[in-house]
Amino acid sequence: MNALYPWQKKDWQALLRERERLPHALLLTGPAGIGKLRFAERLANLLLCETPGSAEPCGECEGCRWFAAGNHPDYRLLTPAEAEEDEDGKTKRKQPVIPVDAVRELEDFVNLTSHRRGVRVTVVAPAETMNVAAANAFLKTLEEPPAGAVFILVAHHWRRLLPTIRSRCRQFPLSLPDHHAAESWLAAEGVVNPQLHLAHMGGAPLAALEDASAPWLAQRNELLQHLANPAALDVIGIAQTLEKTRLDVALVVDWLQKWGHDIVSLGLSGNIRYYPDWRDDLQRLSVRAVPLLEWQKTLLSARKAAHHPLNPRLVYESLLFAYLDALRTRAVKPQ
Amino acid sequence: MAYQVLARKWRPRNFAQLVGQEHVIKALANAFANERLHHAYLLTGTRGVGKTTIARIMAKALNCETGVTAEPCGVCSACTQIDAGRFVDLLEIDAASNTGIDNIREVLDNAQYSPTAGRFKVYIIDEVHMLSKSAFNAMLKTLEEPPGHVKFILATTDPQKVPVTVLSRCLQFSLRNMTPQQVIFHLGRVLDTEQITYEAGALNLLGHAAHGSMRDALSLLDQAIAYGAGKVEEAGVRAMLGAVDQSYLFELLDALVAQNGGQLIAAANAIAGRGLSYEAALQELAHLLHQIAMVQMVPGALADDLPIRDDILRIAQAISPEDAQLYYQIAIHGRNDLALAPDEYAGFTMTLMRMLAFAPVPAGQLPLAQSGTAATAAPASRAPVAQQSPAAVTENSAETPSDAPASTPGLIPVRAAGSNSQNSETYPAEASAEKGPESNTGEGMPWQDESAAAAPPPARPTEFDGDWRGLLAQLRLGAAGMLAQHAELLRHEGDCYYLRVAEEHQAVATRDFQEKLREAISDYFGREQQLKVEIQQQTGQTPAQLAQRERAARQDQAIEAIQQDPFVQTVVRDFGGTVIADSIRPL
Ligand SMILES: [Zn+2]
Ligand SMILES: [Zn+2]
Repeated sequence: MNALYPWQKKDWQALLRERERLPHALLLTGPAGIGKLRFAERLANLLLCETPGSAEPCGECEGCRWFAAGNHPDYRLLTPAEAEEDEDGKTKRKQPVIPVDAVRELEDFVNLTSHRRGVRVTVVAPAETMNVAAANAFLKTLEEPPAGAVFILVAHHWRRLLPTIRSRCRQFPLSLPDHHAAESWLAAEGVVNPQLHLAHMGGAPLAALEDASAPWLAQRNELLQHLANPAALDVIGIAQTLEKTRLDVALVVDWLQKWGHDIVSLGLSGNIRYYPDWRDDLQRLSVRAVPLLEWQKTLLSARKAAHHPLNPRLVYESLLFAYLDALRTRAVKPQ
Repeated sequence: MAYQVLARKWRPRNFAQLVGQEHVIKALANAFANERLHHAYLLTGTRGVGKTTIARIMAKALNCETGVTAEPCGVCSACTQIDAGRFVDLLEIDAASNTGIDNIREVLDNAQYSPTAGRFKVYIIDEVHMLSKSAFNAMLKTLEEPPGHVKFILATTDPQKVPVTVLSRCLQFSLRNMTPQQVIFHLGRVLDTEQITYEAGALNLLGHAAHGSMRDALSLLDQAIAYGAGKVEEAGVRAMLGAVDQSYLFELLDALVAQNGGQLIAAANAIAGRGLSYEAALQELAHLLHQIAMVQMVPGALADDLPIRDDILRIAQAISPEDAQLYYQIAIHGRNDLALAPDEYAGFTMTLMRMLAFAPVPAGQLPLAQSGTAATAAPASRAPVAQQSPAAVTENSAETPSDAPASTPGLIPVRAAGSNSQNSETYPAEASAEKGPESNTGEGMPWQDESAAAAPPPARPTEFDGDWRGLLAQLRLGAAGMLAQHAELLRHEGDCYYLRVAEEHQAVATRDFQEKLREAISDYFGREQQLKVEIQQQTGQTPAQLAQRERAARQDQAIEAIQQDPFVQTVVRDFGGTVIADSIRPL
């Protein structure tokens, strides 16, 4: 159930080389979609395994069986609450958050005596979703944890963690798999064009797997088609359509950022990273690489504001207008 | 898992064990030795310098059973209970999370009662600037007439946010950041005691990476010991920190000098291939550019024995001081933006592309205008791989720092650029970037307001000038904004506003929203204002309707402009106007 992904063996061995020196707080970092949570769970399982001296969870002892059944009394997984649904069944546009209450409950768990062997393991994923109060409460738990308490934090964006939390953990970056390993894994998972989906997600295999069957594929494709054809870009219409999809604004901004990145990168260095399937269109637009650098800045700001309760339609309009602005010729104004 | 991390194991338990805060320790130890006690102390300093550690030692010094002392015994029940975190008369409150104590105000109200076990009731309040208003008031009450048995030890990273009424009643100590030398010395002692072998070069790297915090230093040391399988060697620490071998950075700079995009990406890939940290790479690159700028200004600025001296001199001659400036700023900003890119690699390469794309403005032509004005010189663009068309020269590629430090020779401007806190989130020239009518998208997005935010707020008018939308833009309305957006101003007489709301928006014209809107307007003009709202079949001039019309016009304008654009015309001609892409194409 929690076997490692094939590309994680090396990291696993490196981490366990000094097993007796494993700290009480470990921070696993790396881009989203490379299997950090799986790695964390595997490690939690190993720590709770009751067969002495094993380098892998034995799978047979009582600890392992509890764990496999998902109800080991000395294990906690802290993840953000699911997006709430209101009466109409619509998902509220809300950033997933680990609230302070969850961390307070955790304190009780950590401070109770363990049920089995003295080890109590907590996995927090993604740790950067703790809100400010939660993070500060967690900090206190990290600072003076009772013996036997182990924390494994998982972060896609470790810079967003409180620096004080960071400095109390040992950071362990998980590596991005090499393309070959990732491709064969995706192929084994039944993905038809693994190389392409890997590109879409910057090389992260789990994200690529999601990309291959994401419900929003059609929307992204439609948006890219519009972007590829600026002469007929109906900003207001597209913004309206996008709003109706109720997609996460950050996700759409991500697509736009990747599009902008590829145009700039192709124009200035000859490389495409994300959308090799759009090479011809990108090539045409890449003569505008330099002005599109400006657009990239706009997108960065939009990404930062993506979780503010702004009207998504206006955000999309503003970004698409900015795209057209950047593409349009402008003469140098005399000083 | 019995391993205890060094930061905890080596947490100082008395004043003598503290490293690097001699000035504070001496003053405190003297005071305690002579029983000159104050009832409230404030410890300030950045994270990890030892504020809570000192606070706990102070609590022991106050309550040790051997008497108030600069040298708490460490063995009496008060000392051991404080060390173990279960002394009844020590209350630790973390104001940032309000953990430990559920009702801070009540707890503070209880300060008047005598201590149960100790000599003093000690309140340690961490991040005190984050206390709630009611908690501050409760604390002030005690601070104003302090009972003899109460001691407050407050700690904060942000003393400017502590109310003056509190500050003025505290004896303040500011803790210093540790110097790399202090850190290195201490780490050496720890390793000697722990009997772990190490290389001096490794400690040097760690000492600098800790950025003044001993806790960070010990945490890094833990990592280094694990990484090096029980040994602390320079090569291992370098790899662990993702510290970038300088030769990679010079490859980047050489590619920039050559204006070769392909070579630049190849150099970036080499960094990626070695698993090095992009953040570290950008930071080191910025540092290197700073050194280059220094040498350009003060030729003798580099130490003769600096191993990379020749490389620095080579680049310093190949690029202009303005280039060095610009690259430095782009590197700093790029580092801040890494977390906002689709992934770090993209954030890193985009930063490099930015450097590649922008040529400096010749010295003397830098815009000296204040930020907020639109005077941006036009940096020539260089697009090395793609066909270069004259059209690629843009007027708003404003990467030039608006405060133009480069034009004041004799100063060392580079540092200032990076620490400009106001602009730390945006590019220096972003606020002054051209925002002609064409690029004005009507509705203000947060990132378009940055120049406005930086400008001093205009003086408030006392009379309504008839500009309803303009007025609404100044008000903080919350949900009542929905009413405002759908309300058309019919007329305005004296201090009364006659509004019309269409039937279809009747739902937002609640009494509640009307009152909120009225209050907001009254607040704005500083006197009571009245609203009269009537519901009618339809409206024509509400802010929402006006905005809608403007967007439509904007759209027409954009479409027209883009269709007249020679570049786009080429696209249309050569590609038949619409390009229908297949859903997913093979590579
Ligand atoms: Zn087992
Ligand atoms: Zn004592």
